[in-house]
Amino acid sequence: MNDKNIILDIYNKIAEKSPIHAKKLKKNMKHYNDVYFQRSDDFIIKYLKFLNTLGKDIDYSIDCYLKMLDDIIAEDTYFKKFGKYSSSSFEEVNNRVYGNPNIMEYYMHGLLISQFLWKQHYQIYNYFIENIKEYSNSTNSYLEIGAGHGLYLSEAVKILDKNAIIDVVDISESSINLAKNLINNDRINFTLANIFDFNSNKKYDFITMGEVLEHVENPLSLLLKLNELLNKNGTLYITAPTNAPTIDHIYLFKNINEIKSLLNKAGFKIEKDIYFYAEDLPEEMAEKMEIALMYGAFLKKI
Amino acid sequence: MEQIDIINKLNNIFREVMDNEDIVITPESSANDIEEWDSLTHVQLIIAIEKSFNIRFKSSEIRNWKNVGEMIEAIQNKF
Repeated sequence: MNDKNIILDIYNKIAEKSPIHAKKLKKNMKHYNDVYFQRSDDFIIKYLKFLNTLGKDIDYSIDCYLKMLDDIIAEDTYFKKFGKYSSSSFEEVNNRVYGNPNIMEYYMHGLLISQFLWKQHYQIYNYFIENIKEYSNSTNSYLEIGAGHGLYLSEAVKILDKNAIIDVVDISESSINLAKNLINNDRINFTLANIFDFNSNKKYDFITMGEVLEHVENPLSLLLKLNELLNKNGTLYITAPTNAPTIDHIYLFKNINEIKSLLNKAGFKIEKDIYFYAEDLPEEMAEKMEIALMYGAFLKKI
Repeated sequence: MEQIDIINKLNNIFREVMDNEDIVITPESSANDIEEWDSLTHVQLIIAIEKSFNIRFKSSEIRNWKNVGEMIEAIQNKF
């Protein structure tokens, strides 16, 4: 079997069901190399095993993904019309999404496969992999907030010293179960808690928080909490999208400068950063059309 | 509203959104037939349709639109 078969099989199945979306996926493929195909297949093999434990298969997962896309189209329509996300409070999103098992189920599976189907998701993951290695020697304690798909966490487990402490705090039990299933490593300590209620005696050398800021009403207070949890010389890796309407995004960052300004306000300076647009368009056009963008940064305390 | 009236109105919307005066749609037309019909123009289409027909779609109503015919059906269901 060709290494590229698994992910390409998913692309083909999506193309049959949604030719509109398939055009975007096809266009974005030019950004991928052999490493992408290897990583995506490795991930999907693990994911298929997890699906199997649920009595589901990849067709189920693709249907979940397409349902999620329909929600995104509806949210994007709202965003383009009104210039804001459709939800503005945690309570609203909690009632609509997190507290609704039917929605959560397809949303979780849809988001999972988007990690390798969406250009910006894969590129920001690749950016993390390329840079995390240089922090391995200085990291004896690692904390991740919102582990979800477990991709960042699995990279951290690979490169950190075997004695390094690895903690995860997540507000969602299903997200923790998912990460546990996909990573299956006894070294990781999972805590089911809201990060604002997480009181640790220790400070961490490295904290990762991928795509959480846009889910809270007050991202500054969350960043201040991370500043408290981070060692004096520690590193924070953060990702957040701009102009990315989904059913559970609350806080709208209109551009990268808004994110950077907030990071600075919370006492962080940028060591290195990057961004990727969701569409393969010239930058000027993407900016003008308010195309979703993923921002990622390695940060130090000021 | 009759299907033919919807199609005529839709055809104008497609031409305007795709910026292509040569587009001629039929109920069978899909994204495979219209090059410019992609995920970006799709959202613009929905916005233009909602405005033009004075309707509002729920996400469940735009689900699985594979061709213009399904789009017409969704519009007809609103009247």
